[in-house]
Amino acid sequence: MSSAVSRARMVRLRDGLSALAFLAPFLVFYLLFLVYPFGLGIWISFHDWELVGSFREWIGLWNYEDMFADPQFWRAVRNTLTFAAMTVPVMVGLALLLALGLNRQTRIHGALRAIFFTSNVLSVTVVTLIWIMVLSPDRGLIAQLFRSLGLEPIAFLASTTWAMPAIVATTVWWGIGFPMILFLAGLQQIPGELYEAARLDNASPWRRFTRITLPALRRTFVLVAILQVIGQLQIFGQVLIMTGGGPSQSTRSLVQTIYETGFADWQLGYASAMSLFLFVVMFVASMAQLYIARQED
Amino acid sequence: MASVRLRAVAKNYGAVRAIHEVNLDVEHREFVVLVGPSGCGKSTLLRMIAGLETISGGEITLDDQVINDVPAGGRGVAMVFQNYALYPHMTAAQNMAFGLENIGMAREEINRRIAHAASTLKIEELLQRRPKAMSGGQRQRIAIGRAIVRDPKVFLFDEPLSNLDAALRVQMRIEIAKLHQRLDATMIYVTHDQVEAMTLADKIVVLSAGRIEQVGTPLELYHTPRNTFVAGFIGSPKMNIIDGKVAAITPEGVDVETPSGRLAIAAEPAGLAIGDSVRVGIRPEHMGVGKPGDGLAVVVEVVERLGDETMVYGTIGDGTSVVVKLDGTARVRTGETIPISVAATDGHLFTMDGEALRRTPAALEGLFDV
Amino acid sequence: MEKRAIRPFSGDTVTLVLMIALAAMWILPTIWVISLSLRPNMDLMRSTAGLLPIPFTLQNYIDIVSVSMTPRWLLNSAIVAIGTTVITLIVASLAGYAFARIAFPFKRTLFVFILCGLMIPEQTIIIPLHAMITDWGMHNTHAALIAPRVAMPVGVFLMTQFFRAIPLELEEAARLDNASRLTVFRRIMLPLSIPALTTLGIYTFLQAWNDFFWPLVSATNSNMYTVTVGLSSLQGNFAQTEGLGFIMASAVFASLPVVIVYVIFQKYIVRGIAMTTGK
Repeated sequence: MSSAVSRARMVRLRDGLSALAFLAPFLVFYLLFLVYPFGLGIWISFHDWELVGSFREWIGLWNYEDMFADPQFWRAVRNTLTFAAMTVPVMVGLALLLALGLNRQTRIHGALRAIFFTSNVLSVTVVTLIWIMVLSPDRGLIAQLFRSLGLEPIAFLASTTWAMPAIVATTVWWGIGFPMILFLAGLQQIPGELYEAARLDNASPWRRFTRITLPALRRTFVLVAILQVIGQLQIFGQVLIMTGGGPSQSTRSLVQTIYETGFADWQLGYASAMSLFLFVVMFVASMAQLYIARQED
Repeated sequence: MASVRLRAVAKNYGAVRAIHEVNLDVEHREFVVLVGPSGCGKSTLLRMIAGLETISGGEITLDDQVINDVPAGGRGVAMVFQNYALYPHMTAAQNMAFGLENIGMAREEINRRIAHAASTLKIEELLQRRPKAMSGGQRQRIAIGRAIVRDPKVFLFDEPLSNLDAALRVQMRIEIAKLHQRLDATMIYVTHDQVEAMTLADKIVVLSAGRIEQVGTPLELYHTPRNTFVAGFIGSPKMNIIDGKVAAITPEGVDVETPSGRLAIAAEPAGLAIGDSVRVGIRPEHMGVGKPGDGLAVVVEVVERLGDETMVYGTIGDGTSVVVKLDGTARVRTGETIPISVAATDGHLFTMDGEALRRTPAALEGLFDV
Repeated sequence: MEKRAIRPFSGDTVTLVLMIALAAMWILPTIWVISLSLRPNMDLMRSTAGLLPIPFTLQNYIDIVSVSMTPRWLLNSAIVAIGTTVITLIVASLAGYAFARIAFPFKRTLFVFILCGLMIPEQTIIIPLHAMITDWGMHNTHAALIAPRVAMPVGVFLMTQFFRAIPLELEEAARLDNASRLTVFRRIMLPLSIPALTTLGIYTFLQAWNDFFWPLVSATNSNMYTVTVGLSSLQGNFAQTEGLGFIMASAVFASLPVVIVYVIFQKYIVRGIAMTTGK
């Protein structure tokens, strides 16, 4: 009996050591470059902490108080929410339509899917470069179209009315492939027999769509929507490059504000406080996703 | 020499005891089959011998060496898994070579062993194929080949035929039997199929709920089951068990009054008194149609004609279902009541706890002469 | 074929025509930009109209290779993206194996602790990360661009899921075959996980190549720019610039590696995305 116990202990010890050996490389990166910075961020947010030099003074919750009283901050939050509210429905709706239209295994459907997905692999710099050109009032594609119709071209990115929709369009063009593929994967999990059975039950195409396809996609729909919300709340590159937050602050986003507070104004403490605000928002969204995923199972 | 001994071997999963202090001897060159319903612990026991499960108590010895603390690879045993467990990215030859490479065997020796195993199993043309490109039976052969090349002291089989279709299963069963004769190796084989157990085993171990119910040769288990569990598990269709009361004790055995008639059973009445409740066991193949008023009155519900034989499913007085196996030309119709006769020497008698009463010498005469 | 056709809205011609029209609109900007990159800068000063590169020139591309910083930035991007990918594959598969197959104390707790990292987006730790790298004096190095991406736990999560799906019997057979844990990992698990490693690798590569925020703040020396950051530095008010064709060519040139990776590994990318639905 005692030999059995000691053997069990030996096995546990050996397994523990090999587990440690397998885990250690990742854990070093994880602790050093993710967990530690996250903790450091919280620490910094309680300080007046400058980027250059060593001026670091504990100021408690002042950064947070400043933040909640700062109209610039709230403006950025509002812009970010507006952007997400405009982008997410268009993205989700269009992705669903594309997935429905392209859910066939032919060569041409494959090619069309590839076209919609390709822009997804481009970097934000290339995407914005393309769209700044397309939207340019002098030399842009749309300007050419307007002129050929006898209309005066619009300087989209310099207009408080049009800048935000232009960024939304750019973002949708860039990101549509990802949710489209998610919807396609969801569609392909619906067994063909269901449609055959429905047809034997005399269901019209519309009824087959509303009574079989849509309910089966519910889970995917929620997942896509939340992933989009999480993603779009982090908008940064498009506004930084396309409008720089203008005109007159109308497109300045939260992440851009964090960037400028940290790296232009050198206020790391304040920027960290805003980062944590962003984190809490994301966290709530992620939790909603987990909660819904669990409900479905 | 390769004998395996289990002494009070036990296995706990947390507070749950999966194996209760099992004692078992497996002799050199013996083919031992562990059989029992799913969840009885037979696979766990095999995996403990293999070294894949830790041992919570007791001792396992291989050739008188305690192997409790020897890791799986060092025990000198080889195992054939239920799903074959062939490495999918390796060819058949690489699958066989893997274990030999791990112990640093010379390449020529590895190749020699693979060639030898391949000719034994007639799988030469499969050696360069990957498992994906093989049928179930071919994969099974490769899995056995992988065990053979290691030249193990003991072969372990974990339900190796359960994923094959019926025809192939019979064929592989015969091949494993031949292999045992040819290799002269000690084999321990786990199955839930009593036909495999009966046909392959030198010795069958019947397990139930982590305990050994009975150990014996196939015929011992068939003719002298120790209790109703073994009686029901060995033989197909299952033995009929009918409740009754002792009506008389005679020099030839015991007369039992059942709800549908009186039966004489050639069993020793040890400790029984008239009026005691007992259970009668009769195998379907030992029943026949008798004269009216004879033996058991059975109400026929379903008749299955299989050509060479007829299976009759019916009930007796207290509603107990019984199965009767008659010859192919038996005149039986659904709905009628038929008199079923049973020779006294064919019957089994059990106490209400399910323990068998010893059959009389007259009943056992000639049964083990084969 | 018949089975597909009865799914609503995917079979009829009207849908197909609509999809083709939409796809044409979708790809139009890309074609136009490629065409601009193949026209002389002088010609573009006059007009940017037209979708065909007439007159045609390769001068912009020749300029990129001979005089611009772009090749240097491409090299930086390649080092960072390949380095990130290789290191991620190694550490993620090692850790994934431990979580999937080794029993050790506090395994669940540790796994949850690492899953929590999934909820920390890059943007929310970039300020402290920058401060930390400043303290270490490591800005403007490739290592500083690689390490934070390796720390992201997505790969560990993916590999854990994948290894869990490999039948346990294989590993038991290997144990009976005298294989050590490392042998099992190297000779059984890794070869079997090539599809998962490919998917994870492509993903990591694309993400690292396209990363913008972190290299923007960490690689401030133009010699250390990745191509993503480098391109953004070219973009003042470029729509008016004289070197329009040149800038367009830089964008096309910079995208070539990811587009090539995408074309070759399309299947794996699609599979990788489908995996995030968690099936």
